[in-house]
Amino acid sequence: MKNITVFLCTCFDEINRVVDYERLCSHLSDDPRVAAVTVSRGLCVSGGAGEIGASVKSGDGRVLIAACSPLARGDQVMRDLERAGVPAFRRHLVDLREGCAWIHGNNPAAATEKALDLLNMGLTALEYKEPSADVTLKIADEVLVIGAGPAGMAAATALARCGVDVRVLERGAQPGGMLGLVSRSYPDNTDPSEKIAAFRDLAASDPRITFHSKVKIISARGYAGNFTVRFTAEGEELQAHAGAVIIATGGRVFPPKGYYRYGEVREVVSQIELEARFRKGPVKKENAVFIQCVGARCEERPYCSTICCPASIKNAMRIMDENENARVWILHRDIMMPGTTLEAYYKKAMERGVRFIRYAESDPPRILGDEAVETVEVRDDITGDRRTIPADLVVLSTPLIAGTDAEAIGDLFGIQRDSYGFFREIYPLHPVETRIDGVYICGSARWPVSSEQAMVQGEAAAMKAAALVGRQTIRASEFSRVPGAKFGHARVNEDTCSGCGNCAAVCSFDAIRLQRRSGEGEFRMVSRVIKVRCKACGNCLSVCPNGSMQMPEMNTKALYGMVGKAFS
Amino acid sequence: MMTGKESQNPVIVAGGGVAGLTAALDLAAAGRYVELVESAEHLGGRVSELDKIYPGDHCAFCPLWTDIRRVEDHENIRVRLTSRITAVERKPDSIRVTITTEPRYIDESLCVFCGRCREACAADAVRPSWEHASPPSFFIDKTGCTKCGDCVDQCPTGAIDIERPPVEIVLSADDIIWATGFEEVDLTPLPEFGYGTHPDIMTSLEFENWIAEAGVNQGRILRRSNGKEPRNIAFIQCAGARDRRLLPYCSGVCCMHALKQAQWIKRRAPEVGCTIFYTDLRTVGRDYFDYGLRSLRMTTGVDLVRGRPGMIRPLPGGDALALKYENTETQAVEIARFDVVILNGNLAPSQLLPGSEADSPVDLDSQGFVSAGRDGAAPFACGFSREPADIAESVLRASSSAVTLAGRKDGPEP
Ligand SMILES: Cc1cc2nc3c(=O)[nH]c(=O)nc-3n(C[C@H](O)[C@H](O)[C@H](O)COP(=O)(O)OP(=O)(O)OC[C@H]3O[C@@H](n4cnc5c(N)ncnc54)[C@H](O)[C@@H]3O)c2cc1C
Ligand SMILES: Cc1cc2nc3c(=O)[nH]c(=O)nc-3n(C[C@H](O)[C@H](O)[C@H](O)COP(=O)(O)OP(=O)(O)OC[C@H]3O[C@@H](n4cnc5c(N)ncnc54)[C@H](O)[C@@H]3O)c2cc1C
Ligand code: SF4
Ligand code: SF4
Ligand code: SF4
Ligand code: SF4
Repeated sequence: MKNITVFLCTCFDEINRVVDYERLCSHLSDDPRVAAVTVSRGLCVSGGAGEIGASVKSGDGRVLIAACSPLARGDQVMRDLERAGVPAFRRHLVDLREGCAWIHGNNPAAATEKALDLLNMGLTALEYKEPSADVTLKIADEVLVIGAGPAGMAAATALARCGVDVRVLERGAQPGGMLGLVSRSYPDNTDPSEKIAAFRDLAASDPRITFHSKVKIISARGYAGNFTVRFTAEGEELQAHAGAVIIATGGRVFPPKGYYRYGEVREVVSQIELEARFRKGPVKKENAVFIQCVGARCEERPYCSTICCPASIKNAMRIMDENENARVWILHRDIMMPGTTLEAYYKKAMERGVRFIRYAESDPPRILGDEAVETVEVRDDITGDRRTIPADLVVLSTPLIAGTDAEAIGDLFGIQRDSYGFFREIYPLHPVETRIDGVYICGSARWPVSSEQAMVQGEAAAMKAAALVGRQTIRASEFSRVPGAKFGHARVNEDTCSGCGNCAAVCSFDAIRLQRRSGEGEFRMVSRVIKVRCKACGNCLSVCPNGSMQMPEMNTKALYGMVGKAFS
Repeated sequence: MMTGKESQNPVIVAGGGVAGLTAALDLAAAGRYVELVESAEHLGGRVSELDKIYPGDHCAFCPLWTDIRRVEDHENIRVRLTSRITAVERKPDSIRVTITTEPRYIDESLCVFCGRCREACAADAVRPSWEHASPPSFFIDKTGCTKCGDCVDQCPTGAIDIERPPVEIVLSADDIIWATGFEEVDLTPLPEFGYGTHPDIMTSLEFENWIAEAGVNQGRILRRSNGKEPRNIAFIQCAGARDRRLLPYCSGVCCMHALKQAQWIKRRAPEVGCTIFYTDLRTVGRDYFDYGLRSLRMTTGVDLVRGRPGMIRPLPGGDALALKYENTETQAVEIARFDVVILNGNLAPSQLLPGSEADSPVDLDSQGFVSAGRDGAAPFACGFSREPADIAESVLRASSSAVTLAGRKDGPEP
């Protein structure tokens, strides 16, 4: 078919002073597939893409652009074509400037040969390229927030402010999460119950927020714009239809069993137990010792849990507030107080007289005493001295670990977890987004954080969700991260698919399902691509044993055809 | 649908680093119109100058570049390069913002990167804006340009105009999100670090550029003084930071980037010795401890010494540097010889507006971080202009600022 229009750009003589354009033109004019050849001086600056678009829009016209590298202005021309209504399967770019003229500037004949090869490859590609069908989806306008700790509360509040309907599913009886177990919150020493009460009031009064407590999630299915989640709330079975899901299920505290004689002698408690004591009333101690990094920054859990240094510093000062004669030691491996506010908080504690002693991981402190703790022995890593400290209270700072439900929630929504069980993000610039569009993560479910950071993350997740559900419809192709992407979605040929499932196994975006083929009494499994999830990475095609999985814009015929031309 | 204050006025994002890019993309996705004002010749901020980034050892370039393209491609975002906000005036229901754009002399929308101007310029004042810019373009460095005009005639697209004056525009805006990031603070006032006395005493950012794979030395580890491989390198943590004389706060990112740089030195030149002198090794963040310490200690061997050196001086002859410190294991004061010294910790927020702090449209704390917005409300500031922040924290706060702004019911007050 004579349907390809070729545009040769000279780039203001940058290309044609090396590459023989006359030869290119005569070669192209002889090709039976080529309808017309036009030479242009500067395609990118002349704004010609619109005209080109108009000229090939009708019928089955295709465009071959021979210009500069896609990383120079080639991509820009392609994007202009896209805007002018020429989809990816009807256009192809060949790089004659960087790829031929510039790099082979000293060998014009070879540069021209290479240009001819590239043009032939482009013509062949255009002969076989096929379109990916895009789909337009309706977007449900509600957002589901799972978990009502600081992250979930902040997400719901931000969404309601933006005018978005939000449904909050909380496993417990009350909102607040771990912050509800904390007596006062660093660094401003506020009573967290005020924050929680404020949210409870907002949830009760704002018609945009629906709050469910005592929730158990039964099932979840769907994709960005359309998630259906079944759950029970206080025993009643319900269903939610949401455009986006924010997972804010938090973590839990690592219990210090087996560390520092916890459970063996009295008055060796965990930090969260100390918080509970403070919530009941004054703790009143003379000599308190906090031990940091209990079960953290070690072989099994090689991470810093972020919150334990500030929490100990907070509670150390509180013990001194209650009893001005109290002496408090914090035994640490590094004091993790980065930034402005925390560093100032640390300085304040030092000024208040909290004593900091650094111990080495290889030589941890020892708890002495028969029934209750009496002394703590520690080797000061800085002075080298071995010291024995009197103690009527030892507080063990343990890290946050992944929540009990994290695995189940991760599986339900198809999101990945790291080796510690925390939810994984799109690293590095999209920390609340996951490989599943429309599912966002925040707070300690993602990684241990303070309540303030959890709230910032909850708001960040709300931003992404609000932007998604703020639209009524979206095209599946818009979920691709790169503008002007060359590919649409993978496509299965159901007639030849053997249902082996290789493709589903390698898809990192959970975009392939094996399904029974419908119709005509067939009992056969075939794979199906969920277009909203497919990122056109191409993994699936490479493992399909029978060529049933294809990327239409660069299918096997086009690819093999190009390779054939390159070596012919 | 979003029913936040539907306003025709744009939101102005000041600063096009990772924080500003994210805030702009988020607001644009939510249907807001954004003017992104960036003082440099290209978007990306400091991250565009980094080599690998912790904790994933990615090149900074790819993910950043994708988001830059999304910004440039977005119909709701207008990017203004080489521009700054020069005045802000509050009106009853909007703010009036003056934006001044310095001429680049080369119109990047016309430049096809042929390089003829660069060849023509005897003063070597024509520079590529950023090696990864897409599309690539040149600009003319005003400090070097002699205004001879030789380049003008060479340009086939007529992109060059060396008489172009700065352009000032005044916009009505809904509000400003500050994302102006950080700058390095001069360390010469702290004489013990010896900054400026020898080319091998470098700041972290200088060093990061120096060893970057995409930088001048293509990833080779060399001394700035003689171009040879150093025998050993010392990293001095909290140089300038956590120090009442200069910056009382912790810069938040330098422990991690020292661990990162040491690791990359070891990967590329295993024979080069690395010693990190630190106060606390702050590895707070997702996967940071594991990245920084475990892999470092177990697989590559970098020495960690707790302490802050009290003196760094070039040795007579200038062939190496002497570093005096207290060894905390032995409590002895020791002097060691290093070929290169990297100073980490001199990061401070960039200035928001030219002129005095009194004219500032937002409250700044004593260190210049944006601390409060109008009426003490949460400021619309993110990234390093708000608090010391790594990439993740910068973009998280950016999205949080964006949603707060998007959800605000009332307009700005007088
Ligand atoms: C001892 C200690 C002291 C602390 N002190 C402070 C402090 O002083 N200041 C400070 O800022 N931070 C402090 N923190 C940290 C703070 O508590 C956490 O950072 C914060 O609570 C994390 O918020 P989140 O919303 O991510 O998770 P969480 O607070 O853990 O909330 C998660 C919520 O999700 C719910 N949930 C879990 N799974 C499901 C499910 N499957 N379905 C429905 N709901 C579910 C949970 O019931 C919970 O309500 C402290 C932490 C500890 C351990
Ligand atoms: C040596 C070094 C290595 C690092 N390595 C890592 C790493 O590996 N991983 C990591 O997570 N973090 C790293 N960081 C930290 C990282 O650089 C910052 O987190 C990040 O740059 C902050 O982004 P930002 O957008 O807030 O600011 P910036 O990146 O500083 O961007 C601010 C932008 O605003 C512009 N600007 C400044 N003033 C104005 C004004 N008045 N008007 C208009 N525009 C203005 C600037 O030109 C700049 O483009 C490193 C930092 C250093 C110093
Ligand atoms: S192309 Fe990639 S994302 Fe799409 S279905 Fe195949 S493996 Fe999954
Ligand atoms: S790999 Fe190929 S044959 Fe196997 S299920 Fe997928 S499409 Fe079908
Ligand atoms: S001569 Fe003109 S088109 Fe060529 S690089 Fe210089 S400014 Fe760009
Ligand atoms: S991050 Fe590390 S080096 Fe930087 S100021 Fe804080 S403690 Fe010092």
